[in-house]
Amino acid sequence: MDWLRRFLGLQPAESPVSESEDKAAPSTSPTAAAPAATPETDSSTDDTQPNRNATAQLNEDGRTRQLPPLETVTDTSSTGTRLNYGLHSDVGQVRDNNQDAMLSFTACMSGAGDDVSFGFFIVADGMGGHEDGEKASALATQIVARHVTNDIFLSLLRGETGGDSERPTIIEVLRNAVQKANEIVSTQVPDGGTTVTASAIMGHSAYIAHVGDSRAYLIARDSIEHVTRDHSLVQRLIELDQLTPEDAADHPQKNVLYRAIGQSDNIDVDAIIRQIPPEGYLMLCSDGLWNMLSNEEIHQTILKQYDNPQSAAQKLVALANERGGPDNITVILVQIPV
Amino acid sequence: MVDTKQFASEPKKDLLGVDGTLQLHSVLMNRYRITGVLGVGGMGSVYQARDLQFPSAERYVAVKEMLNLSQDPQLRTISLRNFEREANILAALSHPAIPTIHEYFTHKDRAYLVMEQINGKNLEEILNTLTESLPVDMVVQWAIDLCDVLNYLHDHDPPIIFRDMKPANIMIDSYGRLRLIDFGIARTFQVGEKGTMIGTEGYSAPEQYRGEATPQSDIYGLGATLHHSLTGRDPRLEAPFTFADRPIREANPDVPGQLDAIIMRALAFEPSQRFANVLEMKKLFEAVRYGASGGGSVAIDSGAAPAQEMDDWGSAEAGGIDVRWKFKVEEEIRASPIVHDGIVFFGAYDHNLWAIDTENGQMRWKYATEAGISTDPAIHKDGNMVVVGSDDYAVYAIDIRSGRENWKLMTQGPVRSSPTVAHGHVFFGSDDGHLYATRLTTGRSVWKYDAGVPIRSKPTVTDELIIFGAESGDVYAVDLSGQLKWRFKCKRNVISSPFIYEGLVYFGSFDYHLYAIDIKNGWSVWRYRTAKPVLSSPIVADEMVFFGSADGNVYALDAFGGRERWKFATENQVISSPVYADGAIYIASVDGKVYSLDAKKGKERWSFETNGPISGSPYVHEGVLYIGSTDQNLYALKA
Repeated sequence: MDWLRRFLGLQPAESPVSESEDKAAPSTSPTAAAPAATPETDSSTDDTQPNRNATAQLNEDGRTRQLPPLETVTDTSSTGTRLNYGLHSDVGQVRDNNQDAMLSFTACMSGAGDDVSFGFFIVADGMGGHEDGEKASALATQIVARHVTNDIFLSLLRGETGGDSERPTIIEVLRNAVQKANEIVSTQVPDGGTTVTASAIMGHSAYIAHVGDSRAYLIARDSIEHVTRDHSLVQRLIELDQLTPEDAADHPQKNVLYRAIGQSDNIDVDAIIRQIPPEGYLMLCSDGLWNMLSNEEIHQTILKQYDNPQSAAQKLVALANERGGPDNITVILVQIPV
Repeated sequence: MVDTKQFASEPKKDLLGVDGTLQLHSVLMNRYRITGVLGVGGMGSVYQARDLQFPSAERYVAVKEMLNLSQDPQLRTISLRNFEREANILAALSHPAIPTIHEYFTHKDRAYLVMEQINGKNLEEILNTLTESLPVDMVVQWAIDLCDVLNYLHDHDPPIIFRDMKPANIMIDSYGRLRLIDFGIARTFQVGEKGTMIGTEGYSAPEQYRGEATPQSDIYGLGATLHHSLTGRDPRLEAPFTFADRPIREANPDVPGQLDAIIMRALAFEPSQRFANVLEMKKLFEAVRYGASGGGSVAIDSGAAPAQEMDDWGSAEAGGIDVRWKFKVEEEIRASPIVHDGIVFFGAYDHNLWAIDTENGQMRWKYATEAGISTDPAIHKDGNMVVVGSDDYAVYAIDIRSGRENWKLMTQGPVRSSPTVAHGHVFFGSDDGHLYATRLTTGRSVWKYDAGVPIRSKPTVTDELIIFGAESGDVYAVDLSGQLKWRFKCKRNVISSPFIYEGLVYFGSFDYHLYAIDIKNGWSVWRYRTAKPVLSSPIVADEMVFFGSADGNVYALDAFGGRERWKFATENQVISSPVYADGAIYIASVDGKVYSLDAKKGKERWSFETNGPISGSPYVHEGVLYIGSTDQNLYALKA
């Protein structure tokens, strides 16, 4: 009942039997720009592209090890409308299993009319003993992706512009997707829970749905902004001036969430739209990253390899590991075209 | 009506002997024969047992058991000590709402506490199964009883802080009387001492998360319990400390305002803003229950109202708003003024476009059209022109200095869409169903877009698009050459003028919604439903979108996600559009008043009442607010 502990703000118990599989959700390869099928249920192996996917390597003791770096997902051929992104997920230095899940999906449409880039990205941080945490995060990721693909991406392919008040708004689509995930996780993984931070990107607009304490940041050369709100008890206390951010950093209930997928029947989902400046970044990450690195450090690291998001994502994860890597670390960095 | 007899509960027998619980009929200490299970918890069970000491009487007791399951000897010691502490606290207490304790003993690796059995249900179970709301009187009576028992605890020497006030710890018996149960974490209070953080999320006071528990923490827990009881909303399912966002009277209109105020004061974030002690709170509950008597007025000390933030705004308490001047015209003023170069321009139903000196309120000139004017004028700075549409089917360009007509363009219907000046052109709609793009210098129409129905919304123009609403409910985006880019369809007409911010187009519709749609493709991003049509044109400032609704409210929503930040109720429809200046929102209402609201919180800074309904919007310029009213006056007020 790790997630319960997390809700109660306790440290994880002695690690259960080690996990032998990486649970990072499938990431479609960058070249798979065409709409891929809905993610598979079990992502533990993906033989089709062993070097490109975040497949875990097993050690003799069966513990998950550092993931092999993904190839840099950089589009050097054109500076056009294509999304340039990198992603990395790692178990960290302390945990035995990676309960984080991630997903990326991109499409580039070019031809007559306006060029449109579409991207969809999710980070989910699972909580729960046995395999419940990774089940919850993977399941939530799949369900959210399925709904967004159907209600936004396919709608885009159908060439639907304009709209009417009969159709759900994009924010409603995102909220519904996450609420659906909540329903299904609650019934299928009753002892698990997960955060979800998901973003659909169209042009320069980032639509973000969010529950829990994974985060989304907007990053430009001269700024970094945390745009989601942590649904954690300490954040709530900070908002109410009951706690300073400094005290929050080592508050014993730092990990207590008051909102997460799989926690209750009804869930209130934050959903927003933000504009990303040209060549700016959207970053999604789990708390394994932001708990270890300050915004300033994250910003500096990205600036050092500004047009190489894959390298930046790996570097960020490596830095968090250098600091002790007490938790799973997942980072997705998406650069918006000019 | 809730029948308290339904609160009676039956002990369960089928759980006995399972998972380490005691067997049915096993006997403890040669005295207590186990007859059922009253509850199972993480640390052990609570049994029903028959006391064999009284063989001829059927006397039942509750036996609370603590299992020493922990492998860690230190943890085991701590939990045992807590259990003993509970026993010791209870043993020292005597109060009708605290269960009587008979005995405490250990047996093998378990500890037992023998108590009076309460034939009832805990309040949480009751709340979970209720289909109707609890009678307010019953809840108030419980509130009084709980204050009484908390007062007893706090008055104890040394004071005892219960620390875990919540519905699950309150038993209601079949007579409707209550008992406080589970003193597991109650502890004696020493000033300044920080204990471990414990309590139940949702009911615990903010300071308990810092490890502080005082009588004020119990007051908060009581407030939270009562809030849950009256609203039916479980605080554990909501963000912490958000009781104020779930007004009690909204959920339960039967709750009197006084009761609401008492509970909300108990729930203040700052302990110092709650009641000084439970006795004070109890007296107020009694006044609600039995009517105010003797003790004088039951006014809630508004010392509780978190430090009023007046006085950043000097004039607030002055009462009288400084009217710099007012100017009376010959008919109602329905539209909004605009200020340019020391002159305020506005149209009126008396057919005139008026030009008034902002300094002294003296008329510079007036220009008579042939029908009433219900549009707002627009300024063309370089050309020194003011442009206005009239019900006489025409749009006029008037010279700012002389008040003489530069040009006039006739359409085929009344012009009720206010003109917008941009890119050397003036854009406006007409009841003839067209949007016109007209060259400013000559007044010659360059193109018109046929929407087929009257256009009464003021067009909003960007570097690439002209966006406007039509009476059909369509919102159109056409490019600068008049080609349609996209169209968004609402259920009813759109009079509201779109506002553009960060890639989104915001506008209101008669279909009760405020919409935010993507400027690139017209997809709806979010929408917010009010209770009546939205004629008001929204504005965005401080990442919030502000607008009025015919439901009488002024709304502030999160601009990126559409969540409500605040709303402010006026006394009639709000057709007027808001203006933002220096952290304040200015907006008028059909109730005849113009309001100044704090943009962050929606609190009223001041209001000024005219002698007629206001449908136009204010204009704020250099610290002066200009507003026209149907009382035929244009007012210049100190903002």
